[in-house]
Amino acid sequence: MSVRRLKENFKQLLAYKSAVAGLCILGFIIGLSIYAVITIPYEEAVRAWRLGEDISINNPRNAAPSWINLFLQKNLPETIIIDTLKRESGARKAVVFPETGNVGALRIELPFEFNYDDFPSELNLFLTANYSEIMPYITIDWVKPNGETIRLKEMVVKSSDRYYISIDDELTKRLRTYLSEKVGFEVPYEIPPQMALFAVEDESVLKPETVQVLKGKYKMVIVGTLFERQSNVDCRLVVYGKVFGLAGTDHLRRDLMVALLWGAPIAVSFGVLASISISFLQMIIAAVSAWYGRWADMLLQKATEFNMILPFLPILMMIAILYRLSIWVLLVVVIVLSIFGSGVKTYRAMFLQVKELPYIEAAQAYGAGNVRIIFRYMIPKVLPTIIPSLVLSVSGFVFLEAALAILGLGDPVAPTWGKIINDAYTKGALYQGYFYWVLEPSFLLVLTSLGFALLGFALDKIFNPKLSEM
Amino acid sequence: MKRELFAFLRYSAKRAITLIIVVILAVYATVIIANMGGYVDEIIKIQTRDSINQSVFQNPAYQHLSTEDKKKLADELYEKEIEALGLNKPFIYRSVGYLFSALSLELGKAMYLTSDSGSKAVRAIIVERLPTTILLFTTINLMLFFLSLVGGLFLSRKYGSKLDKAVVSLSPLSAIPGWFYGIFLILIFASWLRLLPYGGLVDVPPPQNPFDYALSVLKHMVLPVSSWLLAYSFIQTYTKRTFFLMFSSEDYVEMAKAKGVPPRLIERRYILKPTLPPIITEFALTLIGSWMGAIVTERVFNWPGIGTLFYQAASFMDSPVIIGEVTIYAYLLAITVFILDIVYAIVDPRIRIGATGT
Amino acid sequence: MVKPLLEVKNLRTYFKTRKGIVKAVDNVSFSVKKGETIAVIGESGCGKSSLAKSIIRLLPRNICTYEGEILLENEDLMKLEEKEMNEVRWAKISMVSQAALNSLNPVIKVGQQVAEPLIIHEGVDKKTALERARKALSMVGIPETFAERYPFELSGGMKQRAIIAMALITDPDLIILDEPTSALDVLTQASIMNMLKIIKGKMTKTFMFITHDIAVSSELADKVAVMYAGQIVELTNAENFYKAPLHPYSIKLMASVPTLRTDKKLDFIPGTPPSLIDPPKGCRFAERCPWRFEKCEKEPPSFLVKGDSIVKCWLFESKGSR
Repeated sequence: MSVRRLKENFKQLLAYKSAVAGLCILGFIIGLSIYAVITIPYEEAVRAWRLGEDISINNPRNAAPSWINLFLQKNLPETIIIDTLKRESGARKAVVFPETGNVGALRIELPFEFNYDDFPSELNLFLTANYSEIMPYITIDWVKPNGETIRLKEMVVKSSDRYYISIDDELTKRLRTYLSEKVGFEVPYEIPPQMALFAVEDESVLKPETVQVLKGKYKMVIVGTLFERQSNVDCRLVVYGKVFGLAGTDHLRRDLMVALLWGAPIAVSFGVLASISISFLQMIIAAVSAWYGRWADMLLQKATEFNMILPFLPILMMIAILYRLSIWVLLVVVIVLSIFGSGVKTYRAMFLQVKELPYIEAAQAYGAGNVRIIFRYMIPKVLPTIIPSLVLSVSGFVFLEAALAILGLGDPVAPTWGKIINDAYTKGALYQGYFYWVLEPSFLLVLTSLGFALLGFALDKIFNPKLSEM
Repeated sequence: MKRELFAFLRYSAKRAITLIIVVILAVYATVIIANMGGYVDEIIKIQTRDSINQSVFQNPAYQHLSTEDKKKLADELYEKEIEALGLNKPFIYRSVGYLFSALSLELGKAMYLTSDSGSKAVRAIIVERLPTTILLFTTINLMLFFLSLVGGLFLSRKYGSKLDKAVVSLSPLSAIPGWFYGIFLILIFASWLRLLPYGGLVDVPPPQNPFDYALSVLKHMVLPVSSWLLAYSFIQTYTKRTFFLMFSSEDYVEMAKAKGVPPRLIERRYILKPTLPPIITEFALTLIGSWMGAIVTERVFNWPGIGTLFYQAASFMDSPVIIGEVTIYAYLLAITVFILDIVYAIVDPRIRIGATGT
Repeated sequence: MVKPLLEVKNLRTYFKTRKGIVKAVDNVSFSVKKGETIAVIGESGCGKSSLAKSIIRLLPRNICTYEGEILLENEDLMKLEEKEMNEVRWAKISMVSQAALNSLNPVIKVGQQVAEPLIIHEGVDKKTALERARKALSMVGIPETFAERYPFELSGGMKQRAIIAMALITDPDLIILDEPTSALDVLTQASIMNMLKIIKGKMTKTFMFITHDIAVSSELADKVAVMYAGQIVELTNAENFYKAPLHPYSIKLMASVPTLRTDKKLDFIPGTPPSLIDPPKGCRFAERCPWRFEKCEKEPPSFLVKGDSIVKCWLFESKGSR
C-alpha cells in the first residue's frame, strides 16, 4: 500500500457524501476529545465525578441546560450566589464592637434581584464562624420586594454550618399559615419554602399550577451577636436555579459537561483500540493458521468453535461483576474474548487464496522465512479488505462499553456516556421528565457511531467494489 | 437416496460430537471463571460466618449462654454449614463436580433469588423465565428474516432504483444497537405520548381472561420488536439484496434463462435456492447475536426473561444463578449452531455429501 | 435452392457502457441450411459470443440497439414478445455456453436439470422426463446413475457432456455451441469433439460452432464465417476455407496454427484488434493488414463475392463476381 495509492483512495472516498459527513462528525468528536483532554486532566475529571456532591455543592440538582430557555416560553432561573467573602457578589457586612466589652453586633445583608419566570429549585445558606469558646448567635430574615419581612430562623453558628432552607419543615408550616392568612383561604398543599418565599401573595398561590413569581429585589438580612472580639461570621446564600451550564446537572449536582466531554475520548479510544487490536490479532491468527496448515489449522478451527459457543456477553458480564474492572482492563478482556471470533474464519479464507498466489511461491523460492512471508507479503495483501470492517466495528465496541455501563457493570469511576445513561435510568429520568439527561449522552453516542458507520460503509464501497458496483 | 441419507447422518453425528465436546469445555471454563479459581468460595465462607455469627449472637434463645459458649456454638454451626456446602474440599475437585451438575442442568439453589412460584432451584427460576425470552426474540428474528428476505428479493429486481438507494443509505442505522433505539422509543411513545407501556410483560394487574392477557402481552411487545426492526431491517435487507444480485449474475442463471425457464421459476430455483446457505448463516448469526443482545434489551424494557434474570443475578452476585445462566446460554448457542449445521446440510448438497468430486 | 434454416440479416447489437457505445455485432448477415454446421471463428472480443446471445436473445441490461432480422424457418425472432421467445428458447434453439463449468445449478441434481427443458417446453411429466434425461446422458457417454449426482461430483468433461445432453434433449432445430471445449484439457476436448461428430452424423443437427481455435472447428464445419471487430469478414464453405482462405485476416489466422506434420514457421499478427466503441472508418483490419493500400483506410469494403464465398476486402474488387 504505497502512499500514492492511499492518496488515490482518499480522493475516491471524498467523492461519497456519506464519507464526508462521517469524517466531519468524527472530526467533531475528536475535537471534543482533544478539548476534554487538554482542559480537564483525567485524574481531575475522575475526582470531580467521584466526589460529586462534595465539590459541586454550589450547583443545582437535576438542572436542565441553560439553552432550554430558548425553547420554553418561560425564563428558568440560573443559580444566584451571594457570598460575604466575595464583595462583588453584592453582599454587605458590618461588624460593630463597642470600645470595651466583648459583645459585638453583626449585620449582613445579602441582596439580589430575582426576575425569572420560575422558582428556584433549592435555597441553602452556608455559614462559617470564627470563635474560640462562644458561638455567635444570629437571626435570619427574608425581605420580599413587596416589603414583607419574614423571620426564617434563629440559630447559633458553628464553625461550619449549613441551613437548608428549602427542607426546613418548621419554616414550611409557618409560611403556609402566613400565606393562608394573607390570602384569606387555606393553602391546600404543602408549598415549599423556595416557592413560598418567592410567591406573589394572592389567590394564585392556592394552586401549584398557578403560583406566580414575585419579581424584584430580594434581601436576606442577618442580624447577629458576636460574643468574642475575634469572632466573625461569614455566609454564602445559594439560590439554586433550574438551569445550569451547557449540559445541565445530574442528581449529584455534577456538571454533565464534564462527563459528556470526557466520554468522547474514552468512547473513541475504547472503540478504536478494541477494533484495531482484535482485527490485527485475528488477522495474524488466521494467517498463521492458513500458512502452516494441518494441526495449526485444526487447532484454530476448534478454538473458533469454542469461542462461538462461549457466550460472550454473559462471560464478559460475569468477569466484570466479579472483578469490578477498570475500563482499560475491561478492554483487554473484551479483546481476549474476541480474538477467536468469526472474523478469523473470513480472514483465513482470504489467506488461503492469497497463499496460492504466484508471488508467494516466488518469495519462498528465494528463501524468505515463514514469518517474513506472513507479515510482509500475505498480511499487506489482505489489509485493505479489512479496513472497512475495522472501522465499522468501532461503533459496536462503543456501544458495548455503553451497554456494560447501563447494566451497571462498567468502570465504577470513569465518566462515560454510558454511565450517564445508567444514572439517568436508575434515577427514573424518563418518568420525571429529565429528558436532557438521557438525550445528551445518547445524542453523542449516536453521533459517534454514525460517524464511524458512514465512514465504514463508504470505505467498504471503495475497498470491496465488487459488492456495490453491480 | 440411501447414499445421501447415510452421508447426512454421518455428518450430523460428527457435528453433534464436536459440539458436545465444545459445550463441555465452555461450561467448564465458565465454572472456573465464575468461581474465580476458588475466590468466590472465600466470599461465601465469609458470608456464612457472618450470618451464623449474627444469628447466634442475636438469637434470644441463646442469650443465656456465655460468650465463649456462643462462640463455640457458632464455630460448630459454621463447620457444619461449610461441610454441607462442600466448601472444605479444594476447589479443583469440586469444579469437576460442578461441571457435571451444570451439564446435566442440575443447577443447584440460588443464593438470593427466587422464582415466582417460590422455588429456589436455579433450574426452576431459569425455566420460568426462558419462555418469555424465546417468545420475544423468536418473534423478532423471524420478522426480521422474512421482512428482509422479501425486501431483498424485491430490491434485487429493482436494482438502481430510488428505493434501492434509499435502503442502502439507511443501512448505517444498524451501527446503533436495537436496545438503544428502545430507549428512544420508550422516551417518545411511553414518556411523551403515553401511548404504549414503559416495559414489562403485561399490564399490572394482569388481565384474567386469556384473550385479554395475550393482547396485553402483544401491546408490550410492540416497542421492543420495533426497536430491533428499526435497527436491523435495513441492513439485513441490503445484505440479502446484495446476495441476490451476486447470485443472479452466476453463469447457471444465464443458462437457465437460455433454457427458457420462466422468470419466477428462475428466481426460486436458480437464485433463491443456491443463496440459502449464506442467508441461513446470517440468520443464525443474528439469532446468536440476539441471545446476547437480549440481556441489555430486556433490561431496558424490563422484560422478564433470562436476560433480566442475568442482570438481577449479577447485581446480587448470586453465583449459582450466574453459572446456571451461562450454562443455559452455552446450550442455547450449541443447539443453534447444531441446527444451523443440519439445515446447511439439508440445503446445500455440497455439505451433505462432502465435496468429494472426481 | 433449399430454404435455409437460419437466416440472419443486418443484425446490429450495440451496448451502452460508461466509456461509450460498444458495437459488438455490426451489420452481420449469414445463413445456415438445415443439417449444416457453421463455424464462427474469431479472436476474443470480436463479438462472436454477442452474436450467439443475440440470436437466442439473452441480452444484458445495457443493450441500446438490437435490430435486423433473425429468421428461423421463416419466422422473424426479433418480432416475438419475450414470452413467445421464451417458448422458442431451447425448444427450437439451444445453446451451450462458454463458461460451461459453472452452467449447472450446484444445488440441483444433474438428471433433474437435464430433464427440466422437457418439463417446461413439452409438458412431459417428471418421471418420463427423468427417463429421457438418463437416456440423453448415456448418449453423451455419461453413465445413467450419474443423473442422481450433483454437478460438483462431475469432472469438467462430464459436466460439458451433460450440458450438451441438456441442449439436445428437446431436439431443437439449431444448437449454438459457444466455445464448448475451451476450458477443457486437450484429451477431453478431443473426446467431446468426437462425440459431436457422431451426433452430427447420426442426428442431422444444425450446429453453430463458435470458437477461436481453427483446428478444432475444422472437425465439424461445413461452412465458415470469420468474424473480426464485430463484422463478418469472410463467409465461405469449409473446404475452400481450410485449403485456401481468402481474407488477409483468415490467411494470417491459418498461418499461425501449428501443424503436426509439416515444418512450418509460425506467423502472428502484430498489433491488437480495434476498439468496438470507436471502430476505424475504413476496413477494420487495415491497421494490421500487410497488404493494405490507400482505399482500405478510407472506405469500408463492401461484400465482394468470389465464387461462392463472400469476402470483405478491397483486394478482391477487381475479381468481382462471376
